[in-house]
Amino acid sequence: MTLETEVQSLRQVPMFRDIDPARLKLLAFTSERVQFAAGQRFFAQGDPSDAAYVLLDGRASVLLNTPKGEIQVAELSGNALLGEMGILSDTPRSATIVASEPTTALRIDKRVFLELLAQFPQMSLAVMRELAQRLERTNAQLVAQSSS
Amino acid sequence: MEKSLFRYIWTHSKREQLFICFVVLLSQPFYFISLDLPRRIVNEAIQGEAFKDGNVTAPFLQLHFDLPQWLGGGSLRLFDGFEVGRVGLLLGLSCLFLFFVVVNNGFKYWINLAKGILGERMLRRMRFDLFAMVLRFTPEALRTVKSSETATIIKDEVEPIGGFIGDAFITPVLLGMQALTALFFIMVQNVWLGLMALAVIAVQFTIIPRLRRELLRLGKQRQLASRELAGRIGEVLDGIEVVHVHNAYAWERAEIGSRLFALFSIRLKIYNRKFAVKFLNNFLSQVTPFLFYAVGGYFALRGTLDIGQLVAVISAYRELPPPLKELIDWDQQRLDVQVKYDQVTQHFAEERLGPMIDADAEAEAEDQPLAGPLVVEELSLSGPHGDMIIENASFSLALPTTVAMMSNGSPAASMLARVLARRITGFAGRISIGDRDLTQIPMSLSGRRVAYAGVDPIIFPGSIRDNLVYGLRFKPTNRTEADRREVARRVAEAARSGNPFESISDCWIDYARLGLKDELDLDRALVRLLERIGMGESIYLFGLAGRIDPERHVALAERLVEARNRLRETFRSNGMADLVEPFDVDRYNDQASIAENLLFGVPVSGEFMGRNLADSPQFRSAIDRAGLTDGLIKMGLQIAETMTEIFQGLPPGHSLFAQFSFIGAEELPDFQAILRRRARGGHDLRREERTRLLALPLAYIEARHRLGLLDDSLKRQIVEARSFVRGTLEKAGATGVEFYDPDRICMAAPLRDNLLFGRVNYQVADARHRVAEAIAAVIRELDLLEDVERIGLDHEVGAAGRLLSPQERASVNLVRCLVKRPDILIIDGALAPFDEERAGKILHALLGDLEQQSLFMVLSNDRQAGAFDVQMRFNGGRIVADQIADSQGRAQRAAAENAQNIAGEVA
Repeated sequence: MTLETEVQSLRQVPMFRDIDPARLKLLAFTSERVQFAAGQRFFAQGDPSDAAYVLLDGRASVLLNTPKGEIQVAELSGNALLGEMGILSDTPRSATIVASEPTTALRIDKRVFLELLAQFPQMSLAVMRELAQRLERTNAQLVAQSSS
Repeated sequence: MEKSLFRYIWTHSKREQLFICFVVLLSQPFYFISLDLPRRIVNEAIQGEAFKDGNVTAPFLQLHFDLPQWLGGGSLRLFDGFEVGRVGLLLGLSCLFLFFVVVNNGFKYWINLAKGILGERMLRRMRFDLFAMVLRFTPEALRTVKSSETATIIKDEVEPIGGFIGDAFITPVLLGMQALTALFFIMVQNVWLGLMALAVIAVQFTIIPRLRRELLRLGKQRQLASRELAGRIGEVLDGIEVVHVHNAYAWERAEIGSRLFALFSIRLKIYNRKFAVKFLNNFLSQVTPFLFYAVGGYFALRGTLDIGQLVAVISAYRELPPPLKELIDWDQQRLDVQVKYDQVTQHFAEERLGPMIDADAEAEAEDQPLAGPLVVEELSLSGPHGDMIIENASFSLALPTTVAMMSNGSPAASMLARVLARRITGFAGRISIGDRDLTQIPMSLSGRRVAYAGVDPIIFPGSIRDNLVYGLRFKPTNRTEADRREVARRVAEAARSGNPFESISDCWIDYARLGLKDELDLDRALVRLLERIGMGESIYLFGLAGRIDPERHVALAERLVEARNRLRETFRSNGMADLVEPFDVDRYNDQASIAENLLFGVPVSGEFMGRNLADSPQFRSAIDRAGLTDGLIKMGLQIAETMTEIFQGLPPGHSLFAQFSFIGAEELPDFQAILRRRARGGHDLRREERTRLLALPLAYIEARHRLGLLDDSLKRQIVEARSFVRGTLEKAGATGVEFYDPDRICMAAPLRDNLLFGRVNYQVADARHRVAEAIAAVIRELDLLEDVERIGLDHEVGAAGRLLSPQERASVNLVRCLVKRPDILIIDGALAPFDEERAGKILHALLGDLEQQSLFMVLSNDRQAGAFDVQMRFNGGRIVADQIADSQGRAQRAAAENAQNIAGEVA
């Protein structure tokens, strides 16, 4: 697996879909590819947010701390972007992510990511578009919930 | 220092000067004989004057002296010589000539050498005297003294003075004698012509120095201007951060530019003047022959002057101008140097200097503990604006004790602390410790017994250890130099130039006084103290990043390979084998760069480091032989292509370039040009282009950069090339690379790399952290922590400690005070870089470690004050001291009751 295949994976992420290939390549080049063993944590709820990850291969569970202990709320797999909200909003991790099987991910460093956003408006726009769409979806869900 | 340069030179070198003078005079007869011999060879031997009366032989080496008339005439016959023939006389005289040539050159050699040595000794003395005065600058003077100016004075400005010293007395004596002899000869021939020559000389000697006065003024200006230039450059460099922050480049460039212009203008004026004076000087020395020809010729025509006499006068005059000119030049140099000397001594004016520190007398002072009550009577201190900071305060404290000096925002606490530390000497009132007046305690005693840690930790370049033991080096305890003769030579030379006899290679630390055995014991104590104030972790990490010296760290060096194997074993048994890819001579290491894979070692010399490797002919020939060059250049092209693609559009100087790109922003266009040319079908790469392209893949790490440039066959080729590289380098005798060997230490690599003997896997999450933990565990297991920390003490701190964090600098500053075990420790803001929690811990550790020692600590508030015996408050010039517990920690007494006892809190 090389930079090219990572760029292909990044392209599957909705947030990065519209970004110029050369920029995506820069994003991939400045990121690290890391492997997690089954059961190894990406990060724990409450940790400072230092990076976002794109799952290249394998699966990861999203766990939340509750008074009753940790519960799994979702499972992520191929090309999922995770941890991006934390680095954009500069808040601690809102959930724990654990690899459910041997998993490979692309680690996008927070500082590098923010620098790229600052440098290339096109990237910032793509991120904003994605965030706006998410907000819209949430709104729609809220409307659906309140009307049901 | 003496006001006059000549007095200074005379005081310190009269014996040598006189001796050289004597030798110069001694050499003169030989010189004259050697001038006379060619005439005799021609006249007596070749033309045969010695044989003119039909003699077949003539005496050779005849020693007859004609006695002057007033001794009764006659002649003294010492030796009648050998009777020799014509050829014999010729050969004899020629050999004699050769002999005198050798003798004269021998004299010349000795005189030059002696003058040079004399000058160098005096220069050494002068530099040392000046430096000794630097140490004496008063705190007040130091506000205006610029360090870089002082440095340039000691280094550059006295240099020409040193060169002049050898000539200071000898040249005028010698040249003056020559000139007088010539003048005397002219006088003897003809008084009037002699007087004429004398008149011109008088004009020369009065007008020219007068014209040169302006030159001296300009020289003075030039000296000050260039000194200020040096000062300004130093200031800009010291404050470079402000220049960067405020974008003041243009201003600073203009500032230096205008200084250079002023300097140029002064030098231009000097040149104009100097050559004008030279012109006049040359003219005047040529005027005299003109007068001789015109006036002398006229009298000769008139018959009043004998033509023979005129010719003799003119030929004698030919001997006169060179010494005269040189004499005038010497005079110029003298004035020049005198000006320089005056400027130098002004910088070190007596009023800027503190009292002479007589090290020897002070060393005699006995090393007694500073004990007994600290009594302060009617202390008054004024601030910089003349306002009273402390007024008529009196109190007394039984030492040892611990005192919290709570400033509450006023400078009084810090000033009192500095008074106690003798950093402020201008105060009214009386302070005594035991029966000694504070101001009367010799510096050598207070230097040992009192330690002061201020806000700005002053750190000298060197290792952390050097800085920590700085306060322990009072005087050498015993000589460690092996070569006795060398010591004797060094000491003798020091005696001749007024320098100190001590050498820094002596053993300066008195271990017994500290209750320690040896260097190792001291290292342990230092590490323990650093750990006490929370710098243990940093020292450990510095140690891991440090390099091993097998001679100094014998135990560690012996066990390092064992630790390496143990670490490998730990990884294997804990399922962590994938965390580190070990160096294996038969396998490509994906976590290491191509350069490292090719060298399979660590470069020691610059020519094999980084991109320079691509320039190394040995390395190039090795990879040529391995058939790798073309493959690597192709990789270089691919890397260049990717880099130009993805870094396009980033502004130059962007941090991502430095952090990630193989190619700097400024090189990007060059590589783009190469790529464009190839895209158009040009296949010929120039030599330097090939080298540049070859340099790119050297830094390529497959696991990190993931450009997919390496396949298995290329990796195999690289592994095979290792033996070529090593063979070529070893054959060429190059010692620039230290090769890896699993059973030996690699001294060029840091300790951490030596333990791992491999590279941490870039692709395993959290690998670095887990590896660090494993290393720490193995080090603990093998009990090597202390050795690692000792290597950490070798860590270089950089200029002004810039390689350390502010907290680390503050820690070093504190430990430097603690290791002295002072009777009185004064902490004045040294804990400022720490957050409150850490500062609290340090304070706790300090208080816990005190044994029969006193601690005075300036605190900004009373949050930590509870732990001290005495709380001292400063308020409107008053000092209030409350004793909480007495120094022995007996039952706590009511504070209010004691406030009356101790607090002589008068305002």
